Amino acid sequence: MATTETQVLDEVIASSRRRMVMMGGTALAGLFLGGSTKAEAATLTDADYLNFALNLEYLEAEFYTLASVGKTIDQIGLGVGAGTAATGGGTVTVKPTGVASCQVPFTIPAVMNYATEIASEEQKHVTFLRGALGSSAVAQPNIDLYNSFNAAAAAAGIGPAFDPFASDVAFLLGSYIFEDVGVTAYHGAAGALTSKTNLLAAAGILAVEAYHAGLIRTVLYGMDQANPAAGIAATATKISNLRSLLDGTGNDDIGLGTTMDELNGASATFTASTIVNADSNTICFSRTAQQVLNIVYASPSGTKGGFFPNGLNGNVS
Amino acid sequence: MPNVDDLISKALSRRIFMVGAGSAAALAAVGCQNHFQPQPGPPVTTPPTNPTLTDADYLNFALNLEYLEASYYLFAATGSGLSATDSGSGAGKVTGGAQVPFSSAIQMEYAYEIAQDELNHVRFLRSALGSAAVSAPAIDLTNSFNAAAMAAGIGASFNPFASFDAFLVGAFVFEDVGVTAYHGAAPLLTNTTYLGAAAGIMGVEAYHAAEVRALVLQAGATYVGYANQISALRATLGGGNETTLSATTVVACDPTTAIAFSRTPSQVLQIVYATATIGATSGGFFPSGLNGNIKTTAG
Repeated sequence: MATTETQVLDEVIASSRRRMVMMGGTALAGLFLGGSTKAEAATLTDADYLNFALNLEYLEAEFYTLASVGKTIDQIGLGVGAGTAATGGGTVTVKPTGVASCQVPFTIPAVMNYATEIASEEQKHVTFLRGALGSSAVAQPNIDLYNSFNAAAAAAGIGPAFDPFASDVAFLLGSYIFEDVGVTAYHGAAGALTSKTNLLAAAGILAVEAYHAGLIRTVLYGMDQANPAAGIAATATKISNLRSLLDGTGNDDIGLGTTMDELNGASATFTASTIVNADSNTICFSRTAQQVLNIVYASPSGTKGGFFPNGLNGNVS
Repeated sequence: MPNVDDLISKALSRRIFMVGAGSAAALAAVGCQNHFQPQPGPPVTTPPTNPTLTDADYLNFALNLEYLEASYYLFAATGSGLSATDSGSGAGKVTGGAQVPFSSAIQMEYAYEIAQDELNHVRFLRSALGSAAVSAPAIDLTNSFNAAAMAAGIGASFNPFASFDAFLVGAFVFEDVGVTAYHGAAPLLTNTTYLGAAAGIMGVEAYHAAEVRALVLQAGATYVGYANQISALRATLGGGNETTLSATTVVACDPTTAIAFSRTPSQVLQIVYATATIGATSGGFFPSGLNGNIKTTAG
């Protein structure tokens, strides 16, 4: 992969140069346009989008690493500082019983395996993006995995508190919050990237996030059907509804359940599952950076909050 | 998304005219595409991989794969395939295919969902391509699986319509390949609207792939074994790019970066034609080859 990473690095360096030039232009544009958001958006480079993605990967990697081994990613040796610095990342807020208590008491071996696999893959995404960004990589921002989940549960109507590290099902529902969002975030960013190399990498990470989402949703739906009284799919659907509310684009996030399909017939007589989260053409949704921020900040117009109490690091925040 | 089709049709019209008017000539004259394309902004310094192929060619390549997937899933779900309307004029014949004897509601729900999804992809791509859309090619769902089973070392024959678990193995043949095909095609597309659509369809194929891989694991060791024999065959035909399915490796991706694999159109053709031969134009699931300008393996 040395060749690919070198290529990515070259592209990022080129993008950073472009950014400096364009930021000069932004200051001028601001004078004329009053700093409209449109002019601001035009200055974003590939490096800015990769750093935006890196913030989300820090969040995911922290969640899955805590769930699978009860440690933060810097405790397992992953770099979290700015640029190539290993240390200097933000804080991670967890439940009062501490970091180690976040290791999920799994009772289903398959779910434990999934947690371990996804943790490993999200860690690799952090490492890959940091490697690609090199000295431009942002440090891990402050991350909250305690108050954020409680507030989300209250907002979604699930209950006053939610501990995603409490059980197999709780862990899967916590994962459900992240993965579909990751898909839409990379989908939205893919079209904005100028380098084909970066595009290929972003599309490949998008696919892995979609694998994760498909896996989590399949497992949750299977558990729901095996034990309908637990209301697992209904809870997942409340999370989808909350995302729809926060991103401000209407009810475009598909929950877990069933729908009636026509297939190759004339009427909708086939009861189908809704594992895939996609639009009416069965193409994955795409979210702008702002829509993604609205979800992770748990606020339709904020600059921080939710999972990122001090906001994201970098130019997309 | 009511306006997407209109947008895409408008954006495609110039290109479609060229493809429709002289695709044979386009193949013969390398670089002729550039004479027809407006060149706004500064000149592009990175040449496209194959200057004779247009976005419409790549979308038609994808459409052939969607015809195959939709045919497979629709037969499994309902016992019949694509309608004449969804197949296009002069569509090829489908060999084989039968309704799977499902044994529970959830099995049917899974199959119905993926069948509808792949049918939607056929309809979306046909609509996006408009008059440039190729019709469904001849598709073989019997001899193809038997030959694959033989080549993979599974046995002399394999009927993916025999049971739900067998159906999952048949689905496994397609889904990871779909991800790598769209992933490989994405950077080749010049229009960002199609790029967005291709990336979004790739995402859906990855949802399907994960679902199928998770369900094959639930089906047990025998079926995991079959899937991995298929995976090894795909690796031989399609340039590696495989992750052995296990309880700890559900996702198919590069083990170092956790980025999904990508395949060139030729590597995808080698898998669906079931041949590593360079210059092959048919075989496997497509006994008369793909329709459109991307149909020959190039190694």
